[in-house]
Amino acid sequence: MSISLADVNASMVPSTSVVSVGMPGAVLLGGPRHRLDLSEHHRQRGDERFIEPQELLEEIRASGLLGRGGGAFPLATKIDTALECAGPRVLIINLAESEPLSAKDATLVSLRPHLVLDGARAIASILGVPRVSFLVHGGSAPGLRSLELALDERRGEDKDPEWKVVLGDPRYVAGESSAVASKVAGGPSLPLATRVPLAVRGPSGSPTVVTNAETAAHVAMILRLGSSAWRAHGPSSDAGSRLLTLVGSVRRSGEVVELLGAVTIGELLKAHGVSEIPAAVLIGGFGGRWIDGETAWNAEASVAGLGEIGATFGCGLVGVIPRGGCVVGEVARLARYLADESAGQCGPCALGLPAIADDLERVASGRGRPRHVRRLLDLAGEIEGRGACGHPDAAIAMVRSGLRAAGDDLGVHLAGTTCGGMLGALHIDEDPNR
Amino acid sequence: MTEMVRVTIDLTRCEGHGICALVAPGVMDLDRYGYAVPFEGALRRVDRVQATRAAAACPRGAIDVTVDDPITSRA
Repeated sequence: MSISLADVNASMVPSTSVVSVGMPGAVLLGGPRHRLDLSEHHRQRGDERFIEPQELLEEIRASGLLGRGGGAFPLATKIDTALECAGPRVLIINLAESEPLSAKDATLVSLRPHLVLDGARAIASILGVPRVSFLVHGGSAPGLRSLELALDERRGEDKDPEWKVVLGDPRYVAGESSAVASKVAGGPSLPLATRVPLAVRGPSGSPTVVTNAETAAHVAMILRLGSSAWRAHGPSSDAGSRLLTLVGSVRRSGEVVELLGAVTIGELLKAHGVSEIPAAVLIGGFGGRWIDGETAWNAEASVAGLGEIGATFGCGLVGVIPRGGCVVGEVARLARYLADESAGQCGPCALGLPAIADDLERVASGRGRPRHVRRLLDLAGEIEGRGACGHPDAAIAMVRSGLRAAGDDLGVHLAGTTCGGMLGALHIDEDPNR
Repeated sequence: MTEMVRVTIDLTRCEGHGICALVAPGVMDLDRYGYAVPFEGALRRVDRVQATRAAAACPRGAIDVTVDDPITSRA
């Protein structure tokens, strides 16, 4: 099954579906199920319109495109900020995807590398930068080979900027935007303590735009489809399609899907092998939010719909803990992972997150009492807002939401026993980076 | 016109020496691990002096005291 640009245009009527790689209607991942090299990319997607950078910026603004790396920041606003500051400017496409279990950016660049590169080139033209850097998650990052191959295929493309690939450290916090900017500027792969936005002044001293690979690919499609046609692929309240990684108790854990139009989380999961309302759903990544299964099931999978239940798409990870799974145990495992992944730069995070994980493990194993929950929540309150980066705050928000979502399961654990539920639905141990 | 004084801690520098809390007990507090926690909100004039002393005394230069003067700098 393949899809051409004409098909994409023909499907401008907002479709309401979740599509997998290669299915018709998909904006980013439509077409053949294999990697598109440069010539096939041109055949499938047609030529880019070459429009003036200023006009392109207005198209991006009209599209309402929000960053897809986790921050959901409007791309046009980020570009505006950098343009208001004196150059030279720096553009970095963040391909780190340091979020364990997330696979959407790696899948995108493995199958559609030239969409990412077209988008990167377009953003570079707006910013007036001669070079674009890609930050990847270490030398064995999935997608790196496809990226390098694509850069090779484009050798001699006269409209291309200079491309540079930078290997980041393969660790969790290395994908945070200031850590990405630091690495590209020749510093360590660690988050920066500065409160000045990168788009105003990055670690090199220049206004620095760091944007996610999927965000760049969307820019390429906005350029091809125009902002209104591109927008129409999202739910009415949202903008454009969206890549998600489904993990845990789904048909194929790790599957990347493209979300089109307005569906509920329940419909999304039903289409991927989840037949009954799960115990809980983790939305947005390890630093995302746990939502109890019932609430998540009925929520619309859109920025607004998730906002109503206190969640965001984050990096696009959706993790499913089935009925019979141990939610408290999963929360404890994630808390331990995030504690281990603290960069250790800030004392409250380096010492506080392990202490919180200790108490959670105590509770998960049935040795905890209500006072341990109170203690860990007190400590969470003391740490919150005090990290140089958002790592401790994200970990704390995950823990709080997890204890809420656990509901009765928490009570069982606090009664001096365990729920006996299955652990390991999220396969944290299989993270290839650990 | 009142000045707004903000005390911020760079926790990537703070090592929990605790000197700030000795020098400026009304302004600086320490958390359970000994890392600095600044007073939140607007400071009185006398406390501003303390905060500046704490900043000067920090062996790691982790304390930043900024004064937003609404007359000279419009946010």
